[in-house]
Amino acid sequence: MAQFKLPRTSRIKTGHHYPASPQARSVRRFKIYRWNPDVDSNPHLDTFDVDISGCNMVLDVLLKVKDEIDSTFALRRSCREGVCGSCAMNINGENGLACITELSRLKPGDVSIYPLPHMPVVKDLVVDMTHFYAQYASVEPWLQTTSMPGNGERLQSPEDRAKLDGLYECILCACCTTSCPSWWWNGDRFLGPAALLQAYRWLADSRDEATGKRLDGLNDAFKLYRCHAILNGTNVCPKGLNPAKAIAEIKGMILRRSL
Amino acid sequence: MPVHRRLSPHLGIYRWRVNMLQSTLHRLTGLFLCAGVLLVSWGAIAAAYGKPAWDDYVGFCTNPIGILLMIGWSWSLLFHLCNGVQHLVHDAARNYGPPVRDLMSMPVYWATGWFVVVVSALATLLLWAVLGLRMAGR
Amino acid sequence: MNIAGQPVSPAPLKTALGAGASHTGVHYWWLQRLTAIALIPLSLWFLFFASALVGIDYAGVLALIANPIHALLLICLTICLYWHGAIGLQVITEDYIHSRPLEMMLKVGIRLGAAVGCLACVMAILSVWLGATLHG
Repeated sequence: MAQFKLPRTSRIKTGHHYPASPQARSVRRFKIYRWNPDVDSNPHLDTFDVDISGCNMVLDVLLKVKDEIDSTFALRRSCREGVCGSCAMNINGENGLACITELSRLKPGDVSIYPLPHMPVVKDLVVDMTHFYAQYASVEPWLQTTSMPGNGERLQSPEDRAKLDGLYECILCACCTTSCPSWWWNGDRFLGPAALLQAYRWLADSRDEATGKRLDGLNDAFKLYRCHAILNGTNVCPKGLNPAKAIAEIKGMILRRSL
Repeated sequence: MPVHRRLSPHLGIYRWRVNMLQSTLHRLTGLFLCAGVLLVSWGAIAAAYGKPAWDDYVGFCTNPIGILLMIGWSWSLLFHLCNGVQHLVHDAARNYGPPVRDLMSMPVYWATGWFVVVVSALATLLLWAVLGLRMAGR
Repeated sequence: MNIAGQPVSPAPLKTALGAGASHTGVHYWWLQRLTAIALIPLSLWFLFFASALVGIDYAGVLALIANPIHALLLICLTICLYWHGAIGLQVITEDYIHSRPLEMMLKVGIRLGAAVGCLACVMAILSVWLGATLHG
């Protein structure tokens, strides 16, 4: 059976409470998932009462926690402007990038922060992305051709180029894939929304000559057809992309060539 | 690679939006309707078998628990039908809004999702109102 | 397997590729959609048909089913219901049952059960229709 509950050693216990300093002006409570691989114990949820004055984004608060309260707190971050995808995490129950999630747009009250769902945790909010990246690699995300380019370049009309809008912008943050219940239960075999959006990015490319081979590789009850259009992935894409639609387009392409 | 890594929480912490509700209900109503198919088959076989068998069948369908099940099946059918139509529209790569969504706006399919939930409930009420009036009229 | 149920492998790409694609995904997906499209008018008609059965006597029920149009629509409905239901149960099995032998047994069981149930139901409808046609 699919495991709907967390394994015993992964269940979350209550953790420490870090109260705000008396001088704090604007306090908001953050409940943050913590797990330290060097201590053989269950993960726990720490409560940080943080002075959020001067903070606009969730990432600002998390860095404040790391800088000023607990320097052992582990998270990934880099660009702080929504183009690198490092700080993808689960914020108030939905996946997103901490660096572009505004505090003022969160629902009022405590903020809960978890790592990306259903992933092996390396430490705190850092998860192991190996399998996610391997699934991306498995769709062979590069231009494939057998013909020689005519005059040194493979030309594309503006109309054909426009077909890649909404596809090429993916930053591989894994917000969509780790929000998908189908991937939670069958992630070992289902490629997940991010890899499938990228598969369609090459299927939709007017210059790519491997369409048939690509469709052959996706026509599988698990690799592609585990997608039941739950649309969780499309809900959360921080770039506003639509993996569910891309998957529907792939299914349409496979159908049209077999009817 | 260490094998003692922990699994991050998923279903237990994820926020439910209408699309996840629809998906879960689609599955549950589908399962319930599979039992409904057996009921339809029982009816056909009972009708073929003779009057006593048919009377047993009618007895099951019209006792209070049977009526409750019938209401459940009719709503399940109407929900699965309405939601199925939305599924077919999505399969045709329609009703997703603009190619790149402005994150300040809600996805367009949340509105159609609530529409599906409400319409299936209203249609069930209408069906049983008509049935109730007809039964009272006899 | 690591704790996420995802294989821990020194060769992640090999794990992601698995045994490749079975080339059968589109078949059941399309049949599910086809039967779904057929079931839109059929199930709406059935709601009216079932409502018409409410409160009438046994002879009236037989007469309604024996109407050739009704019998034909009922048979179409039965076939589509069983087919659509069997594919639905198969998809649910694939989603949640991760023991390969159990999954295969369930899938075979679902197909056999659906075939027998469907045939029994069609036979019943045919016998009512033929009974009325031959004796009535």
